[in-house]
Amino acid sequence: MNSRREFLRQISGAALAAATAPFMLTWALPQGQAVPFPGEDGMILRSFRFVDLESPVEYFNTWLTPVPHFFVRNHMHEPIELDASGWRLSLGGEVEKPLTLSLAELSKLETHSVVNTLECAGNGRSLHRPQVPGIQWGKGAVGTARFSGPRLREVLERAGVKATGKHIMFRGLDEVPAKVPPFIRSIPIEKALDADTLIATHMNGSPLTKHHGFPARALVPGWIGAASCKWLTEIKVLDAEFVGNFMSPGYRLPNQPVKPGDVVKPEDTHAVTALSVKSVISGPIDGSGLKTGKVTVHGAAWAGEADIVKVEISTDGGMTWNHAKLGRDQAHYAWRLWSYDWKPAKGGDYSIQSRATDSQGRVQPATPAWNPSGYLYNAVDQVNVHVS
Amino acid sequence: MFRKTMFPIASASALLAITTTLLAQKPGPTNVTADLPAGAMQAKATTACLECHEARIILQQRLSKAAWTKEVEKMTKWGAVVDPANRDALIDYLSANFSPDKPAYDPPRTVNKNGSGKTSD
Repeated sequence: MNSRREFLRQISGAALAAATAPFMLTWALPQGQAVPFPGEDGMILRSFRFVDLESPVEYFNTWLTPVPHFFVRNHMHEPIELDASGWRLSLGGEVEKPLTLSLAELSKLETHSVVNTLECAGNGRSLHRPQVPGIQWGKGAVGTARFSGPRLREVLERAGVKATGKHIMFRGLDEVPAKVPPFIRSIPIEKALDADTLIATHMNGSPLTKHHGFPARALVPGWIGAASCKWLTEIKVLDAEFVGNFMSPGYRLPNQPVKPGDVVKPEDTHAVTALSVKSVISGPIDGSGLKTGKVTVHGAAWAGEADIVKVEISTDGGMTWNHAKLGRDQAHYAWRLWSYDWKPAKGGDYSIQSRATDSQGRVQPATPAWNPSGYLYNAVDQVNVHVS
Repeated sequence: MFRKTMFPIASASALLAITTTLLAQKPGPTNVTADLPAGAMQAKATTACLECHEARIILQQRLSKAAWTKEVEKMTKWGAVVDPANRDALIDYLSANFSPDKPAYDPPRTVNKNGSGKTSD
């Protein structure tokens, strides 16, 4: 459940976005070029079919991202029909008692809430050089929401996982076109049994929308978005990692750093799991013109399963760094908002950079770790501004 | 009194004129999906690729010929209907239009309302 304070914060965030939206639309959109899309407000349309929507970074001003501003990543067509009363979730495989749950039965289980920053593994792919195939996300395939639903482990315990159960497979109701392999992936049993791994039915206090996996999705906190299967309909306990396109060759990283453009053998890769340490500047916007005086540089920083320890800002091209102030809202898997008050001494062109450090000692690198599929881009963020 | 009533009427007339002009300039319904660029292979690429996904997934890529070759091979395996006689021409079409030296694709934004737009495929 959302507290009243958080609710008000969301409302104020939405109001802020509404107040700034006309300006953004004015410069971002030629008149008449906006694509009508019910429930999705001012999002960057990467693809209409399948639906892939990116949040403009200017939206990263609230700790919880309003659902109409939350990125959408689909690999397939969304389910054509989703009937809540007819929906069933089956659980089988390496269990003592296979079971099937209706939405009403699922909703009777104890609800747990996790504020989680969900990020697509390919977020920032367009910034890699050389460019690699895939949705060419900018910086906004990420958002933070309060996800609620029963713990996955409660359902697994009811079914009784056998000692042979090592991986938990999720299958959704995506409509699979042609001979495309179905979007099926698995997570290790240890992560599945974590108290914060959910079968989420709600997002920011409301039932999931269709774009976000109605009526239920997996929520694997701190991990890449692909782990959190939408339109969940089948959970299967396996004795090993699921074998399929979206486990390999999909969603794998080289075991060792590679040079940009290198070819990597499948046996030299591992599955992508937790997110990297990362910060993004949400204002001022890249390319904007500013007046001398106080400028508040602001943004968000996250680190998957780790905590953000500090965010540093440079306004001189990386020669000197200053601490940003971290926002007071925090949760284990959620981003921290941050801000830094900057007073440019004189007019001119400036490069503003942000660099996050996490509780595991990881620091955003100056250059990204290129990989053949463009996953986990997390180089130091940068915007260029002109002060007059 | 006279002036007070005339002013709103004049303002309303001016507003109506501006609105009419704007409406006249407004383009027709925006296509919610995009088209592939013109060329000898446009029709065949449309058949092969857009059966499963829309053109923007292609328009946003900036890939070498080697990378496009891999993509076409993968998609053919996944069900894209490509006549072997057209394979090389299709790869050339994609490589010529969506190479790394082209400027980045500029995607549109969504507006939160029911659409009167239509799909182009």
